Amino acid sequence: MASFARPSLLRQTLATTRSPLLRQNVGVSQVVAFHASARKQILPPLPQSIEGTMNDPVPVPSPHPMEGSYHWTFERAVCVGLIPLSIAPFAAGSLNPVMDAILCSLLVAHSHIGFQAAIIDYFRPQRVPKFYSLCNWLLRAFTLTTAVGLYEFETNDVGVTEALRRIWNA
Amino acid sequence: MASLRTTARLFAASRPLFRPASFARSYATVEAKSVDPVPSDNPNMKTFKVYRWNPDTPTEKPTMQSYQLDLNKTGPMMLDALIRIKNELDPTLTFRRSCREGICGSCAMNIDGVNTLACLCRIPTDTAKESRIYPLPHTYVVKDLVPDLTLFYKQYKSIKPYLQRDTPTADGLENRQSPADRKKLDGLYECILCACCSTSCPSYWWNSEEYLGPAILLQSYRWLVDSRDEKTAERKAALDNSMSVYRCHTILNCTRTCPKGLNPGRAIAETKKILAA
Repeated sequence: MASFARPSLLRQTLATTRSPLLRQNVGVSQVVAFHASARKQILPPLPQSIEGTMNDPVPVPSPHPMEGSYHWTFERAVCVGLIPLSIAPFAAGSLNPVMDAILCSLLVAHSHIGFQAAIIDYFRPQRVPKFYSLCNWLLRAFTLTTAVGLYEFETNDVGVTEALRRIWNA
Repeated sequence: MASLRTTARLFAASRPLFRPASFARSYATVEAKSVDPVPSDNPNMKTFKVYRWNPDTPTEKPTMQSYQLDLNKTGPMMLDALIRIKNELDPTLTFRRSCREGICGSCAMNIDGVNTLACLCRIPTDTAKESRIYPLPHTYVVKDLVPDLTLFYKQYKSIKPYLQRDTPTADGLENRQSPADRKKLDGLYECILCACCSTSCPSYWWNSEEYLGPAILLQSYRWLVDSRDEKTAERKAALDNSMSVYRCHTILNCTRTCPKGLNPGRAIAETKKILAA
């Protein structure tokens, strides 16, 4: 049911960059230029397919609380926890490496969960299985890099809150 | 008498053999007019642009066909205008309608950019602006304004929308419920499954195969909070995965568009709380 994004700007640039290749066939490139709707969509909607008969219910997925309710509770707890943790060091005016570490780990977890939700939303494993796993591995790599970078910054440099404070006061 | 009937039936069955070819039935083809045939003395003409696509000619792209109606001679609602177009201007225009009073949910369509029921949507009196009517967004179109809701109904069936009990009732007659428990169902049982909310939800546009969508989740919540239902644990387990409920990102298009004034967004939020508890 989902027709994917149809970026008209992208399509126009594609059409112009592609035109030298199609120069032998002038008619086709002219048709491309005058088409009001996309000739080559990104992930166009597939023809409708219905699993089973009209009267069968949609298959019910097996319960996965780790991806469902526990995941949601954890995500909300991280979100709520970030609010006081990001205000406290500046309001209280004290630098605490433990608080900094908790803040950094929650930030990493929060951004990982957020990007993961975006990947699940927009790249369905049934439709683009390879790209889906590529995105997931990219996300894991970036999360790991961020975590290591923050650890280095905390241990060998001034740390996140102190850096923010210096930028603010600069 | 019986013998008479059989002879009559035999005759009826053989009749097509004797019918000349010129009388053979075919589909009516009518030249579509676009302007009101009999406007009043002081016409108040408004343009309606309607999405047209014919499955008989699948290679032709969908088009917007414009019709002009005299609002002085048309009823107040969009459905009145559509019925008048179909009756007087273009009988090939196809749309679903039944009750014309917002209780059947058949005439759900996208009118001027908002999913709503044509029978509950007033025609904007500003005749300078045209009204644009589309089928429900991101649905497979059967014809013109008729969307294919097969998946929607299959998803509705998957949540088992009926009372599930194992224990017999106390008096053997009725499943009784306190007024407070009954009050929990207000704002839920009124849903007519018109699919306006589900087809307005971006999450449902992307992931309709697995995400259930606001309408179905509102119904699911209606059975989760029903005090008489005894399969709450099973219902919760069926929803407890990453796709069924948790693709809802509280965009709240559903609540904004619901033609019955219900709040599917709140029902989904409550479902998440029930699942987390």
